[in-house]
Amino acid sequence: MKKTLLFACLMAFFISATNAQSYNNLWIPDTLSGTNFNLTIKDTFAQLTPGNQTITGAINGKFWGPTMFFNKGDVVHLNVLNKLNEATTIHWHGFHLPAVMDGGPHQIIPPGTLWQPYWKVTNNAATYWYHPHLHEMTMEHITKGIGGLIIVRDEVEGALALPRSYGVDDIPLVLTDRDFNTQKQFVTVPYGDSMMVNGTLRPQHTVPAQVVRLRILNAAIERSYNIGFSDNRNFSIITSDGGLLNAPVSLNRYVLHAGERIEILVDFGGQSGQSVDLKAYNASLANFVAGSENFQNGPFGNYLGKKDFTMLHVNVGAATANPVTTIPTTLTNNVLLNAANANITRIITMSDSMGVTNPPILGPNAFIINHKLFDIDYNQYTVPLNNTEIWEIRSTSGFGHPFHIHDVEFNILSINGAAPPAAQAGWKDVVFVPRQQTVRFIAKFEDFADVEHPFMYHCHIALHEDEGMMGQFVVKDLSSSTLNPIATTDDIVIFPNPVSDRLFVSFTDPNMEAYYVKVTNALGKVKLMLPQPTLTDGIDMSRFAPGVYWLEVTDQKTKKTISKKFVKQ
Amino acid sequence: MRPIKTTVARFFYLFLPLLTWSISNVNAQQMVSDFNLLNVDGKMVSLSNYPEAKGFILVFVCNHCPFANLYPTRFNELTKKYAAVGVPLMAISSTDTIVYEEDTYPKMVEKSKREQFNFPYLFDGTQAVAKNFLAEKTPHAYVIWKENNQWVVKYSGAIDDNGQNPNLVENQYIAKAVDALLQCHEVEVPATKSIGCRIIFRE
Repeated sequence: MKKTLLFACLMAFFISATNAQSYNNLWIPDTLSGTNFNLTIKDTFAQLTPGNQTITGAINGKFWGPTMFFNKGDVVHLNVLNKLNEATTIHWHGFHLPAVMDGGPHQIIPPGTLWQPYWKVTNNAATYWYHPHLHEMTMEHITKGIGGLIIVRDEVEGALALPRSYGVDDIPLVLTDRDFNTQKQFVTVPYGDSMMVNGTLRPQHTVPAQVVRLRILNAAIERSYNIGFSDNRNFSIITSDGGLLNAPVSLNRYVLHAGERIEILVDFGGQSGQSVDLKAYNASLANFVAGSENFQNGPFGNYLGKKDFTMLHVNVGAATANPVTTIPTTLTNNVLLNAANANITRIITMSDSMGVTNPPILGPNAFIINHKLFDIDYNQYTVPLNNTEIWEIRSTSGFGHPFHIHDVEFNILSINGAAPPAAQAGWKDVVFVPRQQTVRFIAKFEDFADVEHPFMYHCHIALHEDEGMMGQFVVKDLSSSTLNPIATTDDIVIFPNPVSDRLFVSFTDPNMEAYYVKVTNALGKVKLMLPQPTLTDGIDMSRFAPGVYWLEVTDQKTKKTISKKFVKQ
Repeated sequence: MRPIKTTVARFFYLFLPLLTWSISNVNAQQMVSDFNLLNVDGKMVSLSNYPEAKGFILVFVCNHCPFANLYPTRFNELTKKYAAVGVPLMAISSTDTIVYEEDTYPKMVEKSKREQFNFPYLFDGTQAVAKNFLAEKTPHAYVIWKENNQWVVKYSGAIDDNGQNPNLVENQYIAKAVDALLQCHEVEVPATKSIGCRIIFRE
């Protein structure tokens, strides 16, 4: 009898211990492919923890969004419908594209509006992402779960013997952390208490016993993750943010900062039945790197600060048919930009605004770039089209900041005077600028001149960015004169009116072309936003409710806007 | 180089508003005034139309919010249970109908018929009533009680603590508040945070 009781007690203890450490199966985001992508941003809810559901923001699903597959060379069309209660933007992080399609703080999508950017994919095969970028709301909108991955494929990557069965041997891992309040709702704070991978708390995943590719994005608001495996095995980094490295870089630790991506190859061959943890070794993060602080209380207080913690429990299952069993020794041959070809070196400063009195910084005490808080109406730089430039980021800030620039992928020239580490010696769009150090990178600003819509550069810690650690630049074509725009006979004709299906626009002046088209309903609500549309096939009005609408067309050269009223039958 | 202490203090100052557990809606014990809103049956409805009522369950909801849409069956049940004992339930839609065509009056009429609402579903097109109550989310529930011929807020916040799965609810906030008030007791939990889609007020 005594024995039975003891056994029961032991069993109860065993069960409760197991429960305490129970894992949830890693959620793998759905996929979208082709050249037309429908993304609906919405308020919704998800069962992220036991008990009540958490109110989330999502794209198409419940939390986070689908992984989109782009092929380099394709023209991709994005149909972004904002069904949130509020305005937002969607930025295509890392992509080289027109500023008017970029989804930065200027390309605001009001609630209920369809935004249709499109561009030709020129980026190299790698892992990119999309996320909200509305100024002062970025942290809140990312916290809700709005965002997603983009995987670009190209011929160079396609020719390599790499794992590429999505969710099988090619696994996306979106790293972030969140805080839940007692009612199971998200709290918008820079550091969460709970690690999440792909929106899954305490995740586990079974990988095949072979070479597996992990595509890792740091999608955290602030935290950096010092990535490593619990058995200290090496892994091979094959991409920096914007493309393949020349050769895999074998390491057992790598610090990934907010906004950065790496793809790694891990050899699980012959390990079927074993387990290993993918961990963040954040106890050994350098001081003044996000996540190295050990705050117990206050707005930055969190359980994960300066601690090592498990991100993903990895179980090794059986190998698949035709597994990848070796890690390639070379990957590509990057032709990096030559510093000798740079004709401008821009000095960008990062600093702390506190105590700055001359001139005084208005607004909150924040981290700042070039001694200013972000001003959406101020362009710091006009970059000549096709210019190759060196940007030198000089930090006097007391904290390290991941610096991100839109429009381009760059090559790091130096970090505090030294050449970049091998894992960063390729194409990058985020570079970590350590506290009080200087980073130099080189970039070429090709293709997309636009003096109306600027590109951004900013700290990718969403809190810092929202507080104003951001600036903007325009790319200007100095060769073509826009000083004498034709502005005499310009007008548009729209037909048919009333319209039931497609509305056609014709310009009375052949020099005119559409820079922006908007459709607004009789109540003044924007229903459709078309940046630089091709109008030859007309505008699809079939989904619109019957009623009176206004079509606003802005001319490319003059930026003059013409409005016409029409009726939808 | 700034001592780290100062940096922490600065961050703390910056983020104080974020931290505050703000229940900024109408507080318990506050008085609220009557209203006159169009019901889905075409008639105007006020609190004064119910002279026998001891109190009301008022729920700010809307057609479009997926979280609010988890609750109509529970509203029907609350009505069945409490209307007969003098505590009717009324649902009020106050969201911006310019943004959400789904939330316009004709769509409210359709929804109430389709889902067989047994309670009034009132259209607050000017958002005045939601502003008066400082309702934050859909759904946001209130229990108001008649005291000295005034309507006093006795509970504000969530309806219960599991939107998707009624069987897993542990705290029936609304039902518990009404039960307590019917027995002349104080409401044990007079306020929670409402959970759902934010009500955006037109400027």
